[in-house]
Amino acid sequence: MNRSQSKNRIPLTRRDMLRNAALAAGVSSWMPAFANAFADDPKRQRHCILLWMTGGPSQIDTFDLKPEHANGGEFKPIDTNAPGLQISEHLPKLAKHGDQLAVIRSMSTKEGDHGRGTYLMRTGHQPGGLIQYPTLGSLLSKELAPPQAEMPDYISISPYRVFNRSAFQPGFLGPRHAALTVGAADSFQPQQQQDADSYAELGVDDLFAPDSVTEEQVSARLSLLTSLQDGFVSRHSTASAISHRTVYERAVRMMKSEAAQAFDLEKEEDAVRDAYGRGRFGQGCLMARRLVESGVPFVEVSLGGLGGGALGWDTHQNNFARVKELSAELDAGWSTLMSELKERGLLETTTIVWMGEFGRTPQIRRPGAAAGRDHYPAAWTTVLAGGGIKGGQAFGKTSADGASVAEGKVDVPDMLATLCKALGIDPGQQNISELGRPISIAEGKVIEDIVA
Amino acid sequence: MFPRLVAVASLVLSAFLFQPVTAQDADDWRATSSRVDELLAAKWKVAVVEPGKPATDAQFLRRAYLDLTGVIPSPGEVRAFLADDKPNKRARLIEKLLDKPNHATHLANAWRDVMLPRTNNNNQLQFGRTAVFDRWLRGHFVDNTPYDKIVRELLTTGGQVNQTGPVLYYTTLELKPEKLAASTSEIFLGVQIQCAQCHDHPFDKWKQKDFWGYAAFFARLQQPAAQQRAAFRVVEGTAGEVKLPDSDEVVPPKFLDAKEIAADSGIARRVQLADWITSPENPYFARATVNRAWSMLFGYGLVDPVDDFGDHNPPSHPKLLDELAADFAEHDFNLRRLFRVLANTRAYSLTSEVIAGESVDPRLFSRMSIKSLSPEQVYDCLSEAVRLREAVGNTGATSAFGRQLDQRKQAFLAKFEAPAQRRTEFQSGIPQALTMMNGQFLVTATDVSRSDILAALIDASFFTNEERVEVLFLSALARFPEKAEREKFVAYVKTGGPTKDSKQALSDVLWALLNSSEFMLNH
Repeated sequence: MNRSQSKNRIPLTRRDMLRNAALAAGVSSWMPAFANAFADDPKRQRHCILLWMTGGPSQIDTFDLKPEHANGGEFKPIDTNAPGLQISEHLPKLAKHGDQLAVIRSMSTKEGDHGRGTYLMRTGHQPGGLIQYPTLGSLLSKELAPPQAEMPDYISISPYRVFNRSAFQPGFLGPRHAALTVGAADSFQPQQQQDADSYAELGVDDLFAPDSVTEEQVSARLSLLTSLQDGFVSRHSTASAISHRTVYERAVRMMKSEAAQAFDLEKEEDAVRDAYGRGRFGQGCLMARRLVESGVPFVEVSLGGLGGGALGWDTHQNNFARVKELSAELDAGWSTLMSELKERGLLETTTIVWMGEFGRTPQIRRPGAAAGRDHYPAAWTTVLAGGGIKGGQAFGKTSADGASVAEGKVDVPDMLATLCKALGIDPGQQNISELGRPISIAEGKVIEDIVA
Repeated sequence: MFPRLVAVASLVLSAFLFQPVTAQDADDWRATSSRVDELLAAKWKVAVVEPGKPATDAQFLRRAYLDLTGVIPSPGEVRAFLADDKPNKRARLIEKLLDKPNHATHLANAWRDVMLPRTNNNNQLQFGRTAVFDRWLRGHFVDNTPYDKIVRELLTTGGQVNQTGPVLYYTTLELKPEKLAASTSEIFLGVQIQCAQCHDHPFDKWKQKDFWGYAAFFARLQQPAAQQRAAFRVVEGTAGEVKLPDSDEVVPPKFLDAKEIAADSGIARRVQLADWITSPENPYFARATVNRAWSMLFGYGLVDPVDDFGDHNPPSHPKLLDELAADFAEHDFNLRRLFRVLANTRAYSLTSEVIAGESVDPRLFSRMSIKSLSPEQVYDCLSEAVRLREAVGNTGATSAFGRQLDQRKQAFLAKFEAPAQRRTEFQSGIPQALTMMNGQFLVTATDVSRSDILAALIDASFFTNEERVEVLFLSALARFPEKAEREKFVAYVKTGGPTKDSKQALSDVLWALLNSSEFMLNH
């Protein structure tokens, strides 16, 4: 059996088998017939890092500048190390990695509400249906995960989930594909401003026993637990009893593993920590690098906050000052992440996605000191970078005023299908939803120009 | 060629599916219970399968508590039941549980999860905003209102969401005819028609016009303006139609058994739909309901998944399903009687034990299937086991203390949220295991200075360590420790474990019990 068939797909019930047998004659794609056709080297572990921009980042002030037009605003474009590709002057370090970036300037979606847009971008589906679609991290980590991993397959760093909790959940794939969350930032309150000399603190929920319980006691507890588990499983040799025991064994293995040291950023030199930026996003990018090194297939890092609240990119007001500030944090974290992955030979197997729930209006609203940009899904930008991506290019074009897509319109399913291909995953591979229907990982068409 | 075969098969099978539920001569519930066992046994014989041995009294007690009231029994209840030596104690237990307030709460929780699934983008269901709805459902289960009456009330309701319970059902579905059609047909009739919403599918029995004909029954709900997606009021108007997508073709209301409704009868469309759905003649309603109740007790439905009836997914025991459905309709859709019938079968009393290498077909019901607990049940069982009594049972309390407990509960539940499907599979992953082992709830519950149960045990100076271990087993697992367990755990407490402290050692024992598979599963 090849890799993809034997991996932990949702176990088929007897009824599913019957149904598949009945339908296989008509619909061959119900069975994964070709798993590795896309992967050039299936043995190499692939990774995906999602840089999630909570609130919806302004494309005109980051990756699709319009210096010739009044909509362009204050920021100037600068050259990157890829000929012809320009990005914002406030992303100078990232500009040195232009050859790794595929900037998709022709995104066009239909959801301009935070909650609905978040769901759409993170699942590939419109919100509001009866099916609970899995979030991207659950979907892709399920495909990329090595068997018998010590670490969880999907780790989410400082997510702000309040816009739409379902958009961060494993949906019909079930809790075993849920993210392990680090330093959730689910609050409307401004986050505590860390003082200038310290680093943002990020920790895994419930990873270790509390200090009141000694290490010897933890071992003693686990050995009591093991004796209970062995007794129960010997009497109930059933799938659910065995899988409960297995999940616990994996959790304990992680608690005790060397790999869990990846969460401990104090193991890094100050110079390295500083290069990433001391805020939550920068430190999150550093953790993402450590997690990828220790084999975790999918990591997401959210950038919304800085010290000033979780809705950072939602710049209805004060757009330019805020985007400049956010860009500095983005620039340090993202560029250092790319450099360090490259040094370790990991960039070619790690695909990075930069996106938010939508873009922002080309028109500058409320001119003056508080000038801002509102929600805008009709023409905006996302970026794919690193492994499997043909970098150094802008794909698609917006009109001179930035109001519409002039060339190469891309919708979410196409972008996700393209991401799948870059990761060596067949986007047509199907999972069985809770209603017993097969659902493809991504339903769009691969954009071949973007894939390396 | 293949689609044509399917079409022919579907004609043949639909003749069977459209048989109206007919009366059978069952004079009381005992006879129906026996008849269920008779039909199951007939199939065991054909499959050459021996049923498992009966569950022990302790196993049966815990299972019945979990299935009928949602929580585990207290140590006192375990002791009393095990000591009871009068006849029919399992039947008497079932009667007692069906009368408990927790039974109504448990059914209300189960039906709420079905009627208001925590789907996408649904802020109305977050932060526990379902109190009015819960009270409405629970009130009916307390009164044992006939199920057809409950469903009729839901289908014909109107009014304000914060005053009239079932209105929340409509507002969470945004009053959209297509969503209401998909949801009501799934919940009350056990059929999936929504795949035909956009276009005809070659393998699907339901065509696009069937879907929209059914949706037309909800076409006259007054639609909220686009600005107010979550309109908080349901009003039935006198005009409004549905059209096929991307066309101007109006689809008139039509029942799923192809009967068209009388035009201009003056009766509101939703009332006509409620009449048809809840009619004893309806081929789906009673079957779908008994099947749902069956799966709650046995883990698998006779049709499984329970909301996917159709030619492609035949029942494991067609005759049993038909007779149970007829019996249910004949007895005024009495849910309490239905649970009484099912819980009193021999099949429900069988063990869930399976030894390694043994292969058991769960859909023969010759063994009990192991069921996982809902997130709500995990929380309530933890609370019961560690004596956090205030938190057990959601009766819609609104005190400040209640809200605080509610927030703690919400935070716990958020970690375990899952689609309410496939209860026979264990659903949790590493984050949930970490929360169980190291999370705030268990840390507090097993902390010697803060745990209610440990404080009570330690204060009771007349208890020996053996008795203390016994109470912990009874609290968490609803059974006495077996001999080997008793020796191991009592010795551990006596020596005090690595801390050389018997109190700490008791907390270790409690921690291990609460993290065990035996605690986390319904077996």
